[in-house]
Amino acid sequence: MALLTLSFILLVTLGLGLLLQWLPARGSLKPTYPQRAPFLGGGSPDTHAWNRYHIRYYPMTLLLIAFEMEMMFMYPWAVVFIEKGTMAVMEMGMFLAILSVGIVYAWREGVFRWQ
Amino acid sequence: MILDQLILPWLLAWLMAGLGAYLVAVLDRLMASGSAQVGSVWLAPLASAAWLMTQQATTTEAPDAPAWRLAPALYLALAAIGLALVPWSPTLVGVDLSTSLVLWGSLEALATVVIFLHGWSANSHLALIGAYRYVALGLSYLLISMFVLIGVALPAESLRLTEVVAAQASLWHVVSQPLGLPLFLVVGLGLTFWGPLNLADSADLSGGTAVERSGPPRLVWALARAAMLVAFSAIAATAFLGGWMGPWLPGPAWLLIKSLAVLVVLLWLGRRLPRLAPERCLTLMWVVLLPLSFVDLIWAGAVALWMA
Repeated sequence: MALLTLSFILLVTLGLGLLLQWLPARGSLKPTYPQRAPFLGGGSPDTHAWNRYHIRYYPMTLLLIAFEMEMMFMYPWAVVFIEKGTMAVMEMGMFLAILSVGIVYAWREGVFRWQ
Repeated sequence: MILDQLILPWLLAWLMAGLGAYLVAVLDRLMASGSAQVGSVWLAPLASAAWLMTQQATTTEAPDAPAWRLAPALYLALAAIGLALVPWSPTLVGVDLSTSLVLWGSLEALATVVIFLHGWSANSHLALIGAYRYVALGLSYLLISMFVLIGVALPAESLRLTEVVAAQASLWHVVSQPLGLPLFLVVGLGLTFWGPLNLADSADLSGGTAVERSGPPRLVWALARAAMLVAFSAIAATAFLGGWMGPWLPGPAWLLIKSLAVLVVLLWLGRRLPRLAPERCLTLMWVVLLPLSFVDLIWAGAVALWMA
């Protein structure tokens, strides 16, 4: 039932969002082509915006994957934490310590600089 | 059954989203003291919403049209789902999921996708730069949010939000985990790219991902953003301020008061702090705030074991 309710809320809200955009604009003319030029502070675009683009922070996104996998283990760990006591602390402490070494290394390598 | 398990959560979510978004607009105007106020603070948000509804929705030369329409609607839907998770009292809960904390975390992750989509699908340079900037921020606050929320789940021995509230009966998490709420507020500003963390729709990109947006789609985007801020405030009040707990007043009233308090703090921070430079954001998040969230988790674990 919970899944049904969530899907229902997702669908009706999505519908509302689309309807609010579509209803007032239906039947109106599309903007003219000069008006459709993307805003470039007065300049006119020579290319699509969808070009090769060097995102300067991409090594960080790779590091994130390691941590995201770790979160998967952390959810069940959080539920049994008090039951397992010190053992749970030790295990996750070791795991986090290893990952922290990774962060320190990445920091030294300048991963968190927008270079 | 249909009425209280399907219609009620839906109405609660929409009521909170609608009234909350209006309140966000009013409060934000009230806090913008110093600048000249034109017209009534209470009517101005409604007037500008009505104005946007009547404006032409411009487009760009070659946008990804379906995705461009979908992004604001999806962001609004994410906010509504977040609002449906909020427990108002032990019995009045929109959707009492056994993994509501995990679902909230996934909403935060999906928000990054949706906001990137909004900037990408316009096929406009400034919008795309806003989108790329946002991904840097979105991927950075995600971990902080997760560690802080796991810290909240430890004493409850559950990922269910109602049990997280129940675990705060003796002491609210804002006291027992002092680093938690401040770090989570940073996440909230990032999630809605509000104030100091407005990297996506910032003024230096003439509006960033929303630069090409006008008319009704712009209204939906603004509505979704405000609704997400409200959803975040309610979740923060639930996770750290004891949710429905409090003397004299009934549970839902306390939750409203606490959510409003978080909302006011967020809006005040948004007005008072300068916008962070995007290239500094990455370093701040990973080198300063992420280790702090480790500390928060260790602290939360130690306190949970000590109090258990």
